[in-house]
Amino acid sequence: MENELRNAIRELLEKQEIDVAIGYGRVGVDGAVGAVFVTSPDDVEQIVWNDECRQNLAVHLTRPEVKAFGKIGIVVKPCDARAVVVLANEAQVDLDLLTIIGVVCSGIKRAKPDGTTADEYYAKCETCVQHTPQNVTLVVGDVAEGEALDAKNEQNAATAGNNAKLAKLRAMTVEERFAYWREQFSRCVRCYACRQSCPMCYCNRCVADKNRPTRIDTSASLKGNFAWNILRAFHLAGRCVGCGACASACPAGIELDLLNLTVSDAAKEHFGFVAGTEFGVDPLIGTYADDDKEEFIR
Amino acid sequence: MENIYKPDLMEVVKVKQETGDVKRVRIRFKDPEKAKQFSFNVGQFGIFSVFGVGESVFNICCSNSHQNEYFEFCFRKVGRVTERMWDVEPGDTIGFRGPFGNSYPIKEWEGKNLVFVAGGIAMPPIRCAIQYCLENRDKYGKITIVYGARTYGDLVCRTELDEWAKYPNVDVLKTVDIAPAEEIEWDGRVDFVPTVLKDSNVSGENAIALVVGPPIMIKLSLPILSENGFKDEDIFTSLENRMKCGLGKCGRCNCGSVYVCKEGPVFTQADIKNMPDDY
Amino acid sequence: MSQIVTLEQLKQTLGAKLAAGAKVVAPVLDGEFASFKEIADVEQASFVPRICMQNSIEEFFFPKHETIFTFVRQGNDVVLNDAPDFDVEQIVVGARPCDAAALPVLDPLFAWDYDDRFYQRRRAKSTVVSFACTQSDAHCFCTAVGGSPENTHGADAILFDLGDGSFEVRAITDKGKALFDGKTTESDKVGKACDAPVVNFDVWKIADWIRANFDSPVWEQVSLRCVGCGTCAYVCPTCHCFDIVDEGSYKKGKRVKNWDSCQDAMFTMHASGHNPRDTQGKRQRQRLTHKFVIYPDKFKFYLCTGCGSCSRSCAQMFGVRPCLEALDKEVQ
Repeated sequence: MENELRNAIRELLEKQEIDVAIGYGRVGVDGAVGAVFVTSPDDVEQIVWNDECRQNLAVHLTRPEVKAFGKIGIVVKPCDARAVVVLANEAQVDLDLLTIIGVVCSGIKRAKPDGTTADEYYAKCETCVQHTPQNVTLVVGDVAEGEALDAKNEQNAATAGNNAKLAKLRAMTVEERFAYWREQFSRCVRCYACRQSCPMCYCNRCVADKNRPTRIDTSASLKGNFAWNILRAFHLAGRCVGCGACASACPAGIELDLLNLTVSDAAKEHFGFVAGTEFGVDPLIGTYADDDKEEFIR
Repeated sequence: MENIYKPDLMEVVKVKQETGDVKRVRIRFKDPEKAKQFSFNVGQFGIFSVFGVGESVFNICCSNSHQNEYFEFCFRKVGRVTERMWDVEPGDTIGFRGPFGNSYPIKEWEGKNLVFVAGGIAMPPIRCAIQYCLENRDKYGKITIVYGARTYGDLVCRTELDEWAKYPNVDVLKTVDIAPAEEIEWDGRVDFVPTVLKDSNVSGENAIALVVGPPIMIKLSLPILSENGFKDEDIFTSLENRMKCGLGKCGRCNCGSVYVCKEGPVFTQADIKNMPDDY
Repeated sequence: MSQIVTLEQLKQTLGAKLAAGAKVVAPVLDGEFASFKEIADVEQASFVPRICMQNSIEEFFFPKHETIFTFVRQGNDVVLNDAPDFDVEQIVVGARPCDAAALPVLDPLFAWDYDDRFYQRRRAKSTVVSFACTQSDAHCFCTAVGGSPENTHGADAILFDLGDGSFEVRAITDKGKALFDGKTTESDKVGKACDAPVVNFDVWKIADWIRANFDSPVWEQVSLRCVGCGTCAYVCPTCHCFDIVDEGSYKKGKRVKNWDSCQDAMFTMHASGHNPRDTQGKRQRQRLTHKFVIYPDKFKFYLCTGCGSCSRSCAQMFGVRPCLEALDKEVQ
C-alpha cells in the first residue's frame, strides 16, 4: 500500500497536478513519523504509510508557508479527510488547488509519553467505523482490509457508547466531573499546542490573543485555564472531527479529545450534526433551523 | 532585594493632545525622594503602565533638564494599554519603570552639525535630543530638522516645530505626504521625507544624523545620507522592538545576540549592519 | 568508601522535611506519565530515575504563572502590594542531571544587571538532589552540550540507584551534605550511571553555521512541519521567555509574569502590525539561535542541556535534536 501511495503521488507530481505532496515520512528521532513536503517525483521514496502516521496533516493547509506552494496534494486518513471537508465548507481551502489523497486506515497506534509507539491503538481508532476515506479525490489502499475491521468496531461503538472513556465521564456526577476537569485543567501551561495542532483552529488572531478587551486571562491559573479550554471546546462545536491532534500535542497530557468529543456528541444528539461528512454543508454554528431543539439553552 | 518588575507611582501633571491619536503626558514621581534621585540620559526609554490594563514601552521624549521635577512621554492610541492611557488626566496615577537602555552620545556630538530626520510618531524619540541641543544651543553647529507625517493632522509637536525654527542656525524642513486642505495654512512641503532630505543637501562633513521613523523611510534616507558623506558611525537610530521586561530577561527584543532593551535602543548604522535583520 | 542511603531513609529524610514545613518536589507517576510535582506525602513520589518527564524542575524556580504585585486604586491614588516572598525551604529530589544543569545556566540571566528576586529567592531556598541516569534514549544528547548521565552541575547532591532499594549519595555542596548528614551509612558499593548517549553532530560547528546563515532558506525548509505549538519551549528546562500582563479590573488586580514562547506568532508582533518573525522558519531560527549562539555569547552557556524533552513531546516529531541533525547536514 505504501508503494501504491508513492506511485500515486509520483504521478501527480510528474503530471504537475500538484506542486507539493504533504505526506508522512520518517523525519523524527529514531525514524519517528511526521509530515514531509515532497515537491519532486524523485523524492517520493520519503513517503511512508503505516500505523504510526499519527498527525492530522490538514493542519498545514491553512498555513501561509504551505499555501505558498500552490497546488497541494495531501495524504489523509478517513478522520483527517473530514477535517479537510470542514475547512472547505468554511471556505478556508480552495478545492481547485487541492488533491485529497485518502488512505485506507485500519487504526493508528498511539504514542507513549516518550514518543515511541505503544502496542495499542488510539481510543478513537478502537471505535472507528470509517476505514475508507470519504470525500477524497482518490483512495489508496485495500478497501476490504478496512471493512473487515468495521464490523468489530461497529460492535465496540455500540456497546461502549462511542468511547469507553467518554462513557465513564458521563457516568460521573456533576461534582465528580467538575473535579475531574479541574485536575486536568490545573496542569494546562497555556502553550496553545492544542490550538496550533488543530486543523480547525485557523483564526488569524485567536480570541486568546485578543486583548481589547482581554476575554480570557492569559495566565496559566485555574481561572484562565478553565476559560481557555472550555471556550476552545465550544468554538469546535460541530467542527471538531475527533482526530485527537490536540490531545497528542498537549504536553500536559490533558484529555482534550474527550472534552471536544463531548461537544461533538452534543451536536450529534441535539442537531443530528456530524462534522465533515459532506461538502457544501453549512456550519452548525452559523445556521439556524426552525426545528432546532433549544433544550441546551433552557 | 528589590522587586525589579514593580513600577514607581507617578502623578500625571499635564496631558497634551498632539494629533488625533497621539498624546504627550508629563509625569512626576509621587515619592519626592525618588524624584530627587532620578536621572536619565537623552534617548533612554521607560515602561509606562496603567494599572489593571498593562505596560507599554515609550521613549522619554523630553530633555533631562528638568529630570528631578518631571519628564514626558508620547504615545499613539493603538493598542490595549494606549487606549486606556488616552483617558488619563492630571492627578491620575500611572506606573513607570526605568530609565532603561543606552542613550544618544549627545556630549560627543558637541561641536558638530546635526541632522534630525523623523517620520510620523517617531518624532518623540528625536524630540528629546532636539530639546537638549537647543537648550545647549552654543555647543552645537548647524541643526537641520527634517520631519514629515502622512497628513498635516498627524504632525506631532507641530507648534514646537515653528518655535525650534526661531533658534539661530536651525533649519526646520517639514513635509506631509498628502496636501492639507486649502483652509489650512501650510508653509511646509508636500513630499516624502527622503525627498526633502535629498533636496536639503545636508553635508556629512563634521556632522551627525539621527534618523527614526518607519522602516521604509529609514531605508530610503540612509543612501542619501551616505551619498552626502555621512559615515555609518555617524548615523544613529533608535530601534523599537517589542519588549516586555526592559531588563534583558524576557527574551523577545533581541536582534541576534544584541538585546535592544539593554544594548539599545540607540544604534549606529555601523552597529546595525553587523546585526541580523530581526527588527 | 561510599555513602549509602536506603529508600526508606530517603523517604524518612524527606518526610521529616515535610513535617518541618518544607516544600518537597519529586517525580510523581500518573498512569504512564511522570512529572515533577509538589508532594504532601512521600508515598506520592516515585523514586525511580527516569528520563521521560512531562515537565522540568524549572517551574519550581520560575513558575509558569507568578504574581509580581497586587494593586488597589483609591481615588486618584494607587496602592501597590508586593507579592509575598518565597520563604520556605524547598527540596527538589529526583531531578534529571539535565534538569539540575539548567539552573546554573539560568542563574546569570536572572542576575544580569538586575536581580530577579522571584527566581533568586527560590534558588537560595532550594536544595536540588538529582538521580544519575540509568538509561538514555534516542532523544538524549547531553553529551553534545557538555553534560553526561552523571553530571553534577547544578545539583547539591546526586543519587546513584544501586538497584537494591538503596542509593549511593554523592554530596556536591554544603546544602547537599547537610540534607544527608547522619542519614547515610558507609559501604563499598559504588553507583554507576548509564553510558553516555551517542551523538554524531558537533554543536560548536553548528553554532558557527547558525551565526553565518541567518538568511538561509534552510530555516524555512527544516521548520516546515513545525506548527508552532510551542510545546518544546514549555517542557524545556532552560526556556525562560515570559510575558508581563495585568489581570483583574481597573480598580483592583494584579500584575503577573507568565511563561511565553518564541514559537507564538504574537511574540514579537509590534503594535503597528509589523512582525519581524512572521514565519515558523524565523521563529525556529530564533529558538535555535538563542540556545546555541545568543545565550553562549552573553552567558557562556548553551541554553540547552540536551535533555531531549522537546523532541520527546513534539507531536510533529521535531525539536532541538532533529533540528540540529538537519542543520548538521548543512555544515558538512
